Amino acid sequence: MTILKNIKIAGVAAALGLLTITASARAETTYNVASLADFTGPYADVMKDLIGARRPVIDWWNAEVGKKIGIKLGIKDYDHRYDAAQVASLWPGIKAELNPIIALGVGGPDVAALQGRLPTDKIPMVMSTAAYGFAWKPDPWIFNQRPTYSHEAAAFFEWLRQKRGGSGPLKVAIISSEASPAYVDQHKGVQRYAADNPGKVEVVEVVFTEVQPTDLTTQVNRVTRKGAEVIMIMTNTAAVVATKRALQSLGKNVPIVVSSHNGLAESGRAIGDIKQMEGDYEVYAMAAPTDAKTPGREFFEMLQSKYNLKAKWTVSAVQGLGQALIAMRAIEAAAKKVGADKVTGEAVREALMSTTISADETYKILGNTKFSNDGPFPTQGLVASIVTIKDGKYTEAAANVPVPSINKW
Amino acid sequence: MIDFVNYFINGALVGLLYALIAMGFVVIYRASKVFNFAQGELVVFGGFIVWWMVASLGLPLSIGLPLAFVAAALFGLLVERVFFSRLAGESVFAMVMVTIGLLILIRGLILVLFGPQVRSFPIIFPLQPVIIGEILIPRSLLIGGVITVIVGFGLSWFFNRTRAGLRMTAVAEDHQVALLMGISVKRSIAFAWILGAVLSTLGAVIFLSGKSLNFLASDIGLAALPVALLAGFEAIAGVLLAGLIVGIIQGLVTAYLDPIVGGAIGTVFPFIIMLLILFIRPTGMFGWKTIERV
Repeated sequence: MTILKNIKIAGVAAALGLLTITASARAETTYNVASLADFTGPYADVMKDLIGARRPVIDWWNAEVGKKIGIKLGIKDYDHRYDAAQVASLWPGIKAELNPIIALGVGGPDVAALQGRLPTDKIPMVMSTAAYGFAWKPDPWIFNQRPTYSHEAAAFFEWLRQKRGGSGPLKVAIISSEASPAYVDQHKGVQRYAADNPGKVEVVEVVFTEVQPTDLTTQVNRVTRKGAEVIMIMTNTAAVVATKRALQSLGKNVPIVVSSHNGLAESGRAIGDIKQMEGDYEVYAMAAPTDAKTPGREFFEMLQSKYNLKAKWTVSAVQGLGQALIAMRAIEAAAKKVGADKVTGEAVREALMSTTISADETYKILGNTKFSNDGPFPTQGLVASIVTIKDGKYTEAAANVPVPSINKW
Repeated sequence: MIDFVNYFINGALVGLLYALIAMGFVVIYRASKVFNFAQGELVVFGGFIVWWMVASLGLPLSIGLPLAFVAAALFGLLVERVFFSRLAGESVFAMVMVTIGLLILIRGLILVLFGPQVRSFPIIFPLQPVIIGEILIPRSLLIGGVITVIVGFGLSWFFNRTRAGLRMTAVAEDHQVALLMGISVKRSIAFAWILGAVLSTLGAVIFLSGKSLNFLASDIGLAALPVALLAGFEAIAGVLLAGLIVGIIQGLVTAYLDPIVGGAIGTVFPFIIMLLILFIRPTGMFGWKTIERV
């Protein structure tokens, strides 16, 4: 009898347990995130860290935030080879397969291919890169966690000019390319800034080159003769290596400033040794992946230990973390507003526009982030990090450098 | 004036580099009548073999480089055996389509074997430029230019003066006729692919010395295309002249027109010149004129 009674109790307990699980499963609504990637194009080398950082953030969010508010997020990667035509061709399939409430973009081709389409599809996209002047339009559906590359470069120029001292403008040479509209946009923004601030910056020349290995000795010799005090390269690592080799062969010591996607570590690897980048700089409006124990670093290490994060602590990983965190916080805010079971792309976009995502919510990877209707990136309170190679070591040269405003170009 | 001389010399040397890559196109075309769309990928594959031998395995240059050329030759032979030996007698269109497939395959193979990372290519030639007064000449391009001229005239002599070269020339004329004359078309085509792969690796060594390498460096194949078309696909020595023309024009346009236009017109200009010349002479400057009897 006792055995029978025990079996009955166990049966009831099991049934109750099953009911609880089913009820909680029912209460959890699943949404999808489209993750755009470039595994076989020009940024394939940094994609492992960027994409590698996105997925653990979503796993962490599902376990520690989503579970509490009744949302589970799925994510799927799509390789578009950094090709706008490929993005345009993939997008209808992504929409049909995932019906995503948000997309995570890679760069210029995503913006070029989707900026006209996303408002109709009612799906916002969050980028990991700096923004582009050509997409600086009101009523955005694409959001950049950072201002334009030109803004970031201008922040660096103001900082370097102050460090240099003196009253004359800082003479800048730019190595650019027409291989991507984003590259052209970068130098046009700097030219605009220089035209509006002739006392601060003078662009001595824009050199156009291919984004493949090339010889730039003649061009670099020309710009150094024109008195360039710094060379800005925000295209790719091949251009950095070519410029560095030209400077080495000419025996000139002009610093180079690069961005996040062609950073000092990547360029150092491409040239064979990071020590060769001694005295050069990288700049971006987000935290720098130095050895310092920052909240961002601690968050990264937590993801490594608990959520199988395989990426290395690099600029690309920081980009991926920031991007994914902005998207997660927007989904959280949307769920709070409309309810966990009624989250749509439109609601996420609305939340992005109306919520300030604090620096603490992104583990200080980004500053306080507040988007507005004016454009795709935050326009106020932006600060940049500047990193250099000092004594062969990747070191933060300056943090919280104010980003100046630039008129549209 | 001194700037003009600098741009002129640099343009000429870059043009000779294009000529070396274009020789790969020409050698394969002469034997098989196939325009090899995967020429740029052969350059990158050759580059990766050199990188693997010298930088990754750490072999000294004197051993690593010759081994890399042997490996490139074997790769050329493999490509011919796997894909083109089966297509002897098939339409040229089918062969050209295979080269497009080959382009995709080699690109994928590079990604799988060597990864997408940008690699540091070994410094084969000294970085210090040759400085004569105010004239500044990149040393790797200068040495590369000399090698290109020697290789160009050597190949021209081989194709026009040796029995093996003349056999290949006969194959280039007509496969059927060559077969009737007892010439092994398959062997000629295999040799052409071996030569094409070796020339591509030589091009990679000159082009990439001290620079960075990843699979995107294959764009050099596209840059060499106007040179091959301008010379005519059968002209080995003609490629040298075409290379000089394209390189000098590109160098001067990049230096003087790019700043005025505010864009990279120097990259486009060789293609414009090429189109203009092809309008006047479709076979290129030194290409064979085929007279067909009806």
